[in-house]
Amino acid sequence: MAMTIDVERLGGTTPVTVIALTGELDASNYEQVIEVVRNAYADGSRGLVLDIEHLTFMASSGLFALHAAVRIMRGETPPDPEEGWGALHQMAQDHDAQASTVRLAAAQEPIARVLERTGMLRLFALDGTRADAIAAFQGA
Amino acid sequence: MVLMRPSGQAGKRSISVPATLDELARVRTFVRDSVAGFGGSKRVADDLVQAVDEATCNVMLHGYRGKAGDVEVEAALRDRKIEIRILDRGPTFDPTRAPAPGPGATPAPTRPGGMGVGIQLLRTLTDEVHHSARPDGGNELTLVRSIDGQGEED
Repeated sequence: MAMTIDVERLGGTTPVTVIALTGELDASNYEQVIEVVRNAYADGSRGLVLDIEHLTFMASSGLFALHAAVRIMRGETPPDPEEGWGALHQMAQDHDAQASTVRLAAAQEPIARVLERTGMLRLFALDGTRADAIAAFQGA
Repeated sequence: MVLMRPSGQAGKRSISVPATLDELARVRTFVRDSVAGFGGSKRVADDLVQAVDEATCNVMLHGYRGKAGDVEVEAALRDRKIEIRILDRGPTFDPTRAPAPGPGATPAPTRPGGMGVGIQLLRTLTDEVHHSARPDGGNELTLVRSIDGQGEED
């Protein structure tokens, strides 16, 4: 199953981009996600909601894309894949998820499990729904 | 090209796909269907789908390195254990002997398929991982997972 990416840009005091991923995120398409996030940041978005309610699978390349999304939204250079596992863990340790500019909305159990296993869950603020994630940025 | 063929062994299934990343989805579907066919839970299927995706992606990116080739995946149930074999014709590479995850653990300058997380996941998601070099060239990676247990302490 391919993956579709839907992008919605919201105004407000903190411009927010909502990216909805539907299908399976793997090595064949993770770069598309990074590209969309890069464009969102370049266009001025300073908050990112990844709506993954309908994401049914995420490979380690998907973890890499999510990691890159966090770095991009912090205004940093996306990680070098060669840093690999060590870099992910370092980031998990030093990052305050509550201050995150990337919120994950509606992660389903298999996806949440992969994030947890790899120590990446701590990188993100987690919300039950897309609306909750948007509201968190907009101070509603 | 999908080859589903019956064989002498009860419940054995296999699929052969070209070594391109677009084919990973078909391999995942094969694993999910096979585990369901063996009577395994969704949880066991999720874990094996994840593991096989990582291993197959690794073969495609680091084994064949963009060269044409095929990856064959076989699934069988023996003694309440699901055995999945991933066969390729690439250069001999034993991921079970890969260095511990860390900086530069796996060569992946532009592709994260081998960022090191993959091998780590293989071990987490399965009960056993075995590698052998095929006598006539290529690799055989076997992943074993009990169909009954959770296979992981949560």
